[in-house]
Amino acid sequence: MSAVTSPAAGRPSLASRAAVRHGRAPLVAWLALLLALMGIGAAAFVYQFSTGLIVTGMRNTVMWGQYILFFMFFVGLSAGGLIVASAGRLFGVKAFKPITRLAVLEATVAVILAATFILPDLGRPERILNIVLNPNPTSPMIWDITIVMVYLAMSAFYVWLYARADLARRGSWLALGTGTSPRTMAREERVKSAMAWIALPAAVMLHTITAWIFGLQISRGFWYTSIMAPMFIASALVSGLGLVILIALVLRRLGRVHFQNDLVAMLGGLLAVFIAVEAFLLMAEYLTALYPGAPEAAAAGRMLSGPYMPLFIAEVVGGLALPFLLLAIRPLRRDPRWVGVAAAIAIVGIFVHRLNLILNGLSYPNIELPPGLPVGVAQAGPSFLQSHWYVPTIVEWAIVVGVLAFGALLFTIAAWYLPMQEPDAH
Amino acid sequence: MADPKVSPVEALSPASRAWGEIGPRSDKPHWGMVVDQERCIGCWSCAIICKSENDVPLGMWWNRILTEGDGLDQPEDVRGVGLEMAWLPLACQHCENAPCVKVCPVGATYHRSDGLVMQDTDRCIGCRYCMIACPYGVRNFNWGVPSRPTPHETGMVQARPLGTVEKCTMCVQRLAEDQVPSCVWSCPAGARIFGDLNDAGGRVATLIREREGYELLEEAGTKPSVRYLPPRRRTPL
Repeated sequence: MSAVTSPAAGRPSLASRAAVRHGRAPLVAWLALLLALMGIGAAAFVYQFSTGLIVTGMRNTVMWGQYILFFMFFVGLSAGGLIVASAGRLFGVKAFKPITRLAVLEATVAVILAATFILPDLGRPERILNIVLNPNPTSPMIWDITIVMVYLAMSAFYVWLYARADLARRGSWLALGTGTSPRTMAREERVKSAMAWIALPAAVMLHTITAWIFGLQISRGFWYTSIMAPMFIASALVSGLGLVILIALVLRRLGRVHFQNDLVAMLGGLLAVFIAVEAFLLMAEYLTALYPGAPEAAAAGRMLSGPYMPLFIAEVVGGLALPFLLLAIRPLRRDPRWVGVAAAIAIVGIFVHRLNLILNGLSYPNIELPPGLPVGVAQAGPSFLQSHWYVPTIVEWAIVVGVLAFGALLFTIAAWYLPMQEPDAH
Repeated sequence: MADPKVSPVEALSPASRAWGEIGPRSDKPHWGMVVDQERCIGCWSCAIICKSENDVPLGMWWNRILTEGDGLDQPEDVRGVGLEMAWLPLACQHCENAPCVKVCPVGATYHRSDGLVMQDTDRCIGCRYCMIACPYGVRNFNWGVPSRPTPHETGMVQARPLGTVEKCTMCVQRLAEDQVPSCVWSCPAGARIFGDLNDAGGRVATLIREREGYELLEEAGTKPSVRYLPPRRRTPL
């Protein structure tokens, strides 16, 4: 743990400057690694663009795959982070103050990544402007792109709002000419409060509308349920808070923020509550689907006893029960390392939950009569498939890793340059 | 899309031309099709001529024949009256309440005034949301550069580009020539009847009324323009 005790905000102390100098070599190596991964991702994207989506594991049956999965996962990470940050402010939870800035920054970077993941999913990414030129108002995808853009602008402003005073004190042009006079600071507080009022519903709507992309489709029985939006919010809270906890622990280790272990225990308790809510909604959904024993429940039944059973067990036991237990046991919750472990497992659990949504929602066509759906590509072997076992290809992984590296780069630079510590946190 | 490259119908003999003519219609036609499951023999002629007429690439089918039974070509005792078997020829249902038209973010899939659902592959961004929304699974995506058995374009319409979605157009290039879609005239069993759903006394509307024509996946509320006539077999196999 760093011995730095002074806030990193404002003029950096001698000690923190030493930490900066000390930390430069690993930082450069980290940034170089990220740039290399971005390069690989860009190359894979160019390859996919010139060859077509045939280089992915997607086919006519599972027509959405890893890119959409990461899109909704990152929308969730973003919404969850911002809901926690703005709810803390809205309900006057002073204890959340030390992590507010990093939560807002996390939310901003995550929504940028979510928007980026749409691009490689398109068959004709060069026509993306058609969304602006010919929007169809009845398409949930248009609703979602609209809220993503509004939310992105809002969260970027939010990041700036929290960093503004410190930037002004440093004399940075990024303060955009604003000062630190008492009147300005008072006004900043008012704007922050107003922003919390806007940000909380915006974050909820962001993930609700993303849920509607899936949940409004009567053609997909596994998705067509009104619990989709509430469950997306619950998943967002689990994964978003989980990532905020992890980032907070890492940044504390790097000496960028300072808070007591009490806060970690408190966030861990909150995470346990969110996990319980997710488990509750999941139970409500599966029981309602399975109880009548009707053929409509075939998809839910496949989760419990079919080829996807291992993934379902991973989601419920590994992703919900295990982190909940870790956080429910008091001595473990008071140990930041265990909270970090629980948060990491919970994030992976939410990822598996979303993977299950995609795989089980799409692997079997709506009309299951033989011979099934045309594959969509010329290949040796059958031209039709009654079900498709989707496995992402190396190209999909390379693009995903490239986009993730882009996000890590954005976050690293922002977290390095912008002050992360609230000045009056102590 | 689907602009005729040539006018294939003009080259037909008068007899062939008369054979494929659409026939009487109302003032404001809503094109539709009736598929008679009692007549369908599951020969796939309509699926093959569809590929040829519309230059559908390898690995894709705008029109295919599903088998109702326990597995491929296996009769099944569904109603407890003995073994039965039927086929379900499946292509775009040209729904009035089309889920694909609703969800397309850029309006690349749209309704014509005669009720047909069209796909503008010059506008399509390839997001495949329409394929998610379609309950019938009749849409195909150009995953790779479309490949065909010969380098020559055999179809009567423009080929669709990489990275876009395509599907049955009810042979709009033939409708423009007052000719029925190719799957209709080519059916050896006469199982497909094309016509105007708005023409209450017309053949299509009469058949739907008298034979209790049903909508596929009626519970999805899509209001298809294609209706199926159930088989009336009195004595099971």
